Amino acid sequence: MNTEILGVLLMYLLTVALAIPLGRYIGKVFESDRTWLDRLFNPVDKTFFKLGGIDPKKEMNWKQHLSALLTINLVWFLLSMFVLMNMGWLPLNPDGNPSMTADLAFNTSVSFVTNTNLQHYSGETGLSYLGQLILMLWQFISAATGIAICAVVFRAMKEKTTDKLGNFYSYLVRSATRILFPLAVVVALILAFNGTPMNFEGKAQYVSMQGDTVNVSRGPAAAMIAIKQLGTNGGGYYGPNSAHPLENPNYFTNIVENLSILLIPIALVFALGYVIKRKKIAWMVFAVMTLGFLLLLFNAVYFEMKGNPAIAKMGIAQPLGSMEGKEVRFGPAASAYWGVTTTVTSNGSVNSMHDSFTPLAGMSALLGMMINSFYGGVGVGFLNFYIFIIIAVFISGLMVGRTPEFLGKKIEAKEMKIAAIIALLHPLLILAGTALSSYLYAHNPAAYAGWLNNPGNHGFSEMLYEFTSSSANNGSGFEGLGDNTPFWNIACGIVMLLARFLPIIGPVAIAGILAKKKYIPESAGTLKTDTGTFGIMVFVVIFIVAALSFFPALALGPIAEYFGMK
Amino acid sequence: MSIHRRTNKLFEGALVKEALKQSFVKLDPRIQFRNPVMFTVELCTIFMLGVCIWIMNGEASQGSLLYNIIITAILLLTLLFANFAEALAEARGKAQANSLRKTREDTPAKKIFPVGEMYVNEMKVVPSSQLAKGDIFLCEAGDTIPMDGEIIEGIATIDESAITGESAPVIRESGGDKSSVTGGTKVLSDKIKVRVTTEPGESFLDKMIALVEGASRQKTPNEIALTILLAGFTLIFIIVCVTLKPFGDYASTPITIAAFISLFVCLIPTTIGGLLSAIGIAGMDRALRANVITKSGKAVETAGDLDTLLLDKTGTITIGNRKATHFWPEKDIDENVFAEACVLASIADETPEGKSIIELAETKQVKKPFCKMIK
Repeated sequence: MNTEILGVLLMYLLTVALAIPLGRYIGKVFESDRTWLDRLFNPVDKTFFKLGGIDPKKEMNWKQHLSALLTINLVWFLLSMFVLMNMGWLPLNPDGNPSMTADLAFNTSVSFVTNTNLQHYSGETGLSYLGQLILMLWQFISAATGIAICAVVFRAMKEKTTDKLGNFYSYLVRSATRILFPLAVVVALILAFNGTPMNFEGKAQYVSMQGDTVNVSRGPAAAMIAIKQLGTNGGGYYGPNSAHPLENPNYFTNIVENLSILLIPIALVFALGYVIKRKKIAWMVFAVMTLGFLLLLFNAVYFEMKGNPAIAKMGIAQPLGSMEGKEVRFGPAASAYWGVTTTVTSNGSVNSMHDSFTPLAGMSALLGMMINSFYGGVGVGFLNFYIFIIIAVFISGLMVGRTPEFLGKKIEAKEMKIAAIIALLHPLLILAGTALSSYLYAHNPAAYAGWLNNPGNHGFSEMLYEFTSSSANNGSGFEGLGDNTPFWNIACGIVMLLARFLPIIGPVAIAGILAKKKYIPESAGTLKTDTGTFGIMVFVVIFIVAALSFFPALALGPIAEYFGMK
Repeated sequence: MSIHRRTNKLFEGALVKEALKQSFVKLDPRIQFRNPVMFTVELCTIFMLGVCIWIMNGEASQGSLLYNIIITAILLLTLLFANFAEALAEARGKAQANSLRKTREDTPAKKIFPVGEMYVNEMKVVPSSQLAKGDIFLCEAGDTIPMDGEIIEGIATIDESAITGESAPVIRESGGDKSSVTGGTKVLSDKIKVRVTTEPGESFLDKMIALVEGASRQKTPNEIALTILLAGFTLIFIIVCVTLKPFGDYASTPITIAAFISLFVCLIPTTIGGLLSAIGIAGMDRALRANVITKSGKAVETAGDLDTLLLDKTGTITIGNRKATHFWPEKDIDENVFAEACVLASIADETPEGKSIIELAETKQVKKPFCKMIK
């Protein structure tokens, strides 16, 4: 086995090994059990609550949780719009970068508030340091929002019959201070010591050996990169994201950053086991997610290491695999691993250009986002998975001839209605968006010539990828797309908004309704949801919903391209 | 009452004929509308029919006429098959109620004609279905009472366990408030004259049959939820197919209407959608084979949710007495030896259990001579 694959294995195993204890810790944070960070952060939390006039002991029902979430998100969005459109004259702008246009500011604000971090700009020229800092703040807050609402669902999944599901603000603050902040400090320190900039100075200048003057952008990069990875945000400090040598200087930082992508999403699954005191369910969820993840990973790594058939046809040997669009310090295996981890988790940071992946590896990335629940974004990944669990419970319940029950609560028409709508939303947004752009392009190629760098199937993949990435709140891009136009900024902005908040509202509503129902103790006839059989059932449901709804689009994009290259 | 397993074949001539007719009747959009998945298939079929006519009038871009006609035919067959499955299940349900009624009607009644062919008060055996209100019939020990009525003469012990579940016989006599008898119960001793008090089709048993038969198909909660899920899936695939059109435009690959419709019908959960209504009826049918009468698919579903069954007394139309039906020897124990031991243990037992064990041993012909001997 070659070292590149060993590197990938090492990264994955290390992540899981760290995620298990972290999951336990997160579970304790959710349950307000005592942890060793309490002494440090209890006073901090109290200050926040005092300042905000919040009583963290006041329990809310699921509707109150949602209205709290939506209200503060709206406030953040407006604040972000203001800063981005005025940062040209606001302080902390040593490089004199201009303010954003309204459509770009809309897209960027939505993108960061929704944890997507789709960037239609380039960080070093498009943002002032204040802009970067405010976006960094959203990276903490949007991730904490996801974790907090996930905690609400965990709480609702407990056995008791109640509509009191804890306090949203308390979960939000605790997620930020107890989970994201300490981890981000550790990762940022590692990055800073490996050469990532962390200062507020303007561009540095040096004269290269050829005699050219080179300007190097600097700023508070290490802090932002740490949280962009941990919070499955993915909005890089520099335009090329983690492929940039200052964002991701060497293989070691690559390991650390890649580990941070998967860490919290996996840990949250184990936190579920801790909160509802049923470890076996957590392992079932983990196993299903891992199975899907590994399938996508094998596919991507295999095709990237095999090299590009078009280049092979020219008679050029590719001992390193497909190196187009990749950094030599990472190599194809680690790049493909990153490509899959970042798309399954709705992170969206990149360390290689997904646009240049071989077609089927690109399809792995696309599928990861289309399914969007193999680990998934922090918090929201589990919510997506929860919808699939509900559908799987329902279908298998009917198969055994009993009213479907999940964790002792009956699943009835109302819950199914919500689950069906949410399962419908993701394909709708992706396919309708792509259909709209294909329609515009196909009927007037001259007017929209600036959109696509590549014609044919690859151009189609670029549009499909952009909408998939927006709808999955991922934020990575097939960068061949000329996306800073009003159409893409506004269309993607709307897709991101809908795809962020509806899939939060749906599962929370289901969980809230189920929590209020009578608890039915398990009996011999109860469908066991913590078994391998049920796991396979969930996997099949995910596969059917994703594969069937996206297959025609994939066939016209990456699959057609793959056969075209042969 | 004996337990007899019904051995209905899946396809009985008469049933199939009725179901075939119904599968065309059910093409009515008003009926189809209740099942969204099949309704969309029907819309597709009608649409394809339009496309066929369009091609006949000279349209050239939609593929050959034959191809389009084949697609239309396949869609129509799909619809008919779904209707057929439902109609067959329904027809079977009806047939069962009919057979139940038939046995009911065939109970012989010893009707008394005040002025007979030869004598006054002549007695003649007629099927119970021919009894009208006001008729008088005679019941002797061992007879089943054919119709609800009132005793006008005599006194008898009657086993009403089939209706009430009470295993001890009750005494009914003319006059007073204990004079009414119910059809389907059994006279154990003596002889009574009874006047029919209900019209045909209104007796207690008839009402029960009506209950079974008239179990109009209510949608079960799960079915409603499933319909929502299927409608959801159908919507997803509508999106998939509609968006394929601009995708095809982009790839400059025109796609024919027939191809769109075929893809759509293949993707949507047609099978579950088509058979959904048949499933509930099949469930009732299965329960009936186990001699359980379920009033609706909903009841079958509820039965699936049962964890514990609490019995007050034996049911309403059951045998009413505890009865041994099987010998279940442990492994390695000969059934004969076991039955013999049971018989020996029960000889002196006068309770229904004890008696029925000995009866069972006789029917099983376990060492018949031995049983006889102890008798």
